[in-house]
Amino acid sequence: MQIKFEQFVTASMLGSQDAPPRSNGELLFQSDWESRAFGIAIALSKKGHYEWEDFRQELIAAIAEWEASHYLDDPNWDYYQRWLLALERLVLELNLIDTQELETRTQQLLER
Amino acid sequence: MSDSSREAYNAARVKALESLLIEKGIITSETVDKVIDFFEKDMGPFNGAKIVAKAWVDPEFKQRLLEDTPAAIAQMNLPRGMAGAEGEHMKAVENTPDVHNLIVCTLCSCYPWPVLGLPPYWFKDPTFRARAIREPRKVLQEFGLDIPESTEVRVWDTSAQIRWFVIPERPAGTEGWTEEQLAAIVTPEAMQGAAKVQISQSS
Repeated sequence: MQIKFEQFVTASMLGSQDAPPRSNGELLFQSDWESRAFGIAIALSKKGHYEWEDFRQELIAAIAEWEASHYLDDPNWDYYQRWLLALERLVLELNLIDTQELETRTQQLLER
Repeated sequence: MSDSSREAYNAARVKALESLLIEKGIITSETVDKVIDFFEKDMGPFNGAKIVAKAWVDPEFKQRLLEDTPAAIAQMNLPRGMAGAEGEHMKAVENTPDVHNLIVCTLCSCYPWPVLGLPPYWFKDPTFRARAIREPRKVLQEFGLDIPESTEVRVWDTSAQIRWFVIPERPAGTEGWTEEQLAAIVTPEAMQGAAKVQISQSS
């Protein structure tokens, strides 16, 4: 059965520990960078740069790392920060971009 | 890092990632926009709310919806994909003063998400699922719903074959409301049978 990739992504995230925050059934983004990071991760997989499951595993690992070093009710918990970390690691691992250019570009944007 | 500098760093980091990926021709900003649009505009409980509102104002539509849910939904001008994939096995049941319907999922991750959006955390909780079948009245009470003894409670187990959703009772005091106004008060919980539709302060 041919299904849309977005539908597959949704189904694979249903009810699991790594499912994104939501309000009243809708995805909950608090800032623009969160929705961009969300969209980039799905777009890269959709274009075949990695399997969606690979991203999920990277995300699960990033969440587990946080949980291992913080109290579970730590108010600094930020789901999309873990999402961003997983995305960044995967993009660097796959050599889609290299660490140096990512650092340089980030600094440039911060100084602007 | 303070909250605001962390926020600024994250924003710059995502922007750096996206701009580099675009420059290298790996993705386009349109691809990313489309993905976000799909999750924000095409898929979610607002679709189910529109269906319920139409059923409330149009008795013939409601009849069709109860008899052949996918065919009735297909007649509505909803985003594509609603009737496909996860949406194709949907079946609507109606709450009345005599019957209250509650939806659970005992086995799998099947959920009519094109209509209801992503499920709330408790829906996947094994305790909730088991108890909802064994003692639905008690579980509903914990959700703040007192179902009178005279009302029959029916529990529907959603599965790969059938994904159920509830047409809740239309609340009193909404006579003459437009479909749009009505859709605004329908919550995902009401379409699971875990809540009644309330007229909220804002509407």
